[in-house]
Amino acid sequence: MNSRLGGLTVSALATLLLFYPPNRLDAQHFAIGPQVVFGDYREVTANLHYRGGGLGAAATVTWKKFSADVAASKIKYKPEKDGTATREFDASEFDVRLRYYISGPVSAEVGFVNRKADPEFEAQSVGAVAAGARMAYLLGPGVRMGLYGGLLFGPKFSGGGTASALGGALELGLGMTVDALRGRLRFTGDYDFQRITRKTNDGSGAVNVPIQQSLGRVGIAVAF
Amino acid sequence: MRRSPWPLIAVALLLPGAVPGQTVQNATLRRAQQSFDNLDYRQALITGKAALLERLTGFERARAYELLGFTYSGMDSILRAVDAFKQVVLIEPERDLDPNRTSPKALSAFQVALTQVLVVRQLRVDSVDFIGGQGAVGIRFTVTQPSRVITRVVGGSLGSVRIDSTVANGQVNLRWPARLPNGDPVPAGNYNVVVEAVVGQNSFSTSQSIRITHGAVDTLPHLTSLPGYTYLPETEVPPKSWRPMGLALVYTGVALAGTSALSSGDLGSASLREAGTVGAGVVLAGFIMTLKKPAPQPARGNILYNQLLREQIARRNTEIAQENTRRRQQVALSVVPLARPGSGR
Repeated sequence: MNSRLGGLTVSALATLLLFYPPNRLDAQHFAIGPQVVFGDYREVTANLHYRGGGLGAAATVTWKKFSADVAASKIKYKPEKDGTATREFDASEFDVRLRYYISGPVSAEVGFVNRKADPEFEAQSVGAVAAGARMAYLLGPGVRMGLYGGLLFGPKFSGGGTASALGGALELGLGMTVDALRGRLRFTGDYDFQRITRKTNDGSGAVNVPIQQSLGRVGIAVAF
Repeated sequence: MRRSPWPLIAVALLLPGAVPGQTVQNATLRRAQQSFDNLDYRQALITGKAALLERLTGFERARAYELLGFTYSGMDSILRAVDAFKQVVLIEPERDLDPNRTSPKALSAFQVALTQVLVVRQLRVDSVDFIGGQGAVGIRFTVTQPSRVITRVVGGSLGSVRIDSTVANGQVNLRWPARLPNGDPVPAGNYNVVVEAVVGQNSFSTSQSIRITHGAVDTLPHLTSLPGYTYLPETEVPPKSWRPMGLALVYTGVALAGTSALSSGDLGSASLREAGTVGAGVVLAGFIMTLKKPAPQPARGNILYNQLLREQIARRNTEIAQENTRRRQQVALSVVPLARPGSGR
């Protein structure tokens, strides 16, 4: 009952924003909307291979040279047939990025990433601080794309282990937004790739237990 | 028998210039003139002197003395010729002889007569328009003897204002700014420029009437553009290019290659499904943007040019506003000389 009420509220809010007078939307610095998420997750060896899909939401706020992205998603990862994994799990991910425009196409980013696996022992839950840079380009009126890369610092894992500060955890991404309805509606597409060279040591020496995730997000957002 | 041409040439040279508009009415004087024309100088002298005893107009009296001057010159009696011409100058100070039609002897006698009589001749006031305080009225006259010359402007509410006082001889040029002692422009009205020459007991004065009118000084209109300079469009549509498509391919390629390169070897080949899906969208958007008309881009050079042009116009309008403020406090003076009522004494 509560989730149904929440959906109605979101729909009403979206409708209200769509019909909001355009002259009040000249300074559209905030956008929010749902996303369809799909991903590929691998851990330790090529045999622990999962693929899945789910839903998410993303919000963007821009103010002068600053902007912030917040994305939350929940994916149900299912084992691939070519692997040895037997149980599916849910990955709830929460990403926050703060961005500062520097010059030309270049912006600097900092933020954090948090991913929780449920059931807890099917995959590693990860939390890390992210820092990197983004290059954005205006393809045409209302169409932007961006490429970004960065490092994940101080990653923490639910199963323990470490990753070196430099080169141990990397992030790469590609994004695109297309404005419609005079900028009130925004179609988004984002790709995030994470590779974490995690190492554990149970007393017999360091063991490589890498984690890798490719995440695609396609969504729509209402801007106002 | 052939007659010598010299008497006719002499008559032609001795004849004074005709004065348009006035004619000699006195019969005696006309006879004297006729005798002179016939080179009968003795008879011309007798009838000319007789005419002077009769009632003559000023013009006729001057003409009679002039005839005597020419006759004495023809008879080589220079001193008497000078005396006769002195009377002419006293009666008509503005009188001049035409050097092309007058004999050198008569001309030199007339010039000598001028130096022996104190008169102020050929008083001229220029017709001018100027802004009060920024111009002057030109006044010219000739004094025939070295004398103290005082120039004044008389009339209206002005009373009598001295313009100049100097010892002068010959041509005198003055410039009068048409301002009161306190710096204000002279009020509008009719005035007389009076020139008085004094030497010893002798004095002579002459005057010229002038009319001074006031008017508003024209103000300058504000500028909306500079002649020859027009605003340029501040945006320009760049030509169609494959740059959006190329960049989309490059960005997608970097994302795909980066994914392959960064993926861990222990985890098998990386999945390109997600990168491919989003990358295909980026490439498709780049392709569409390549086909579409490019969005107008700000033309930096034109923007700077327009900014410069606006600043120039604003600066010029500020100057014009200041100039107009100053001009509204000014008076345009127009000085026109009026017809002379008569000669001096």
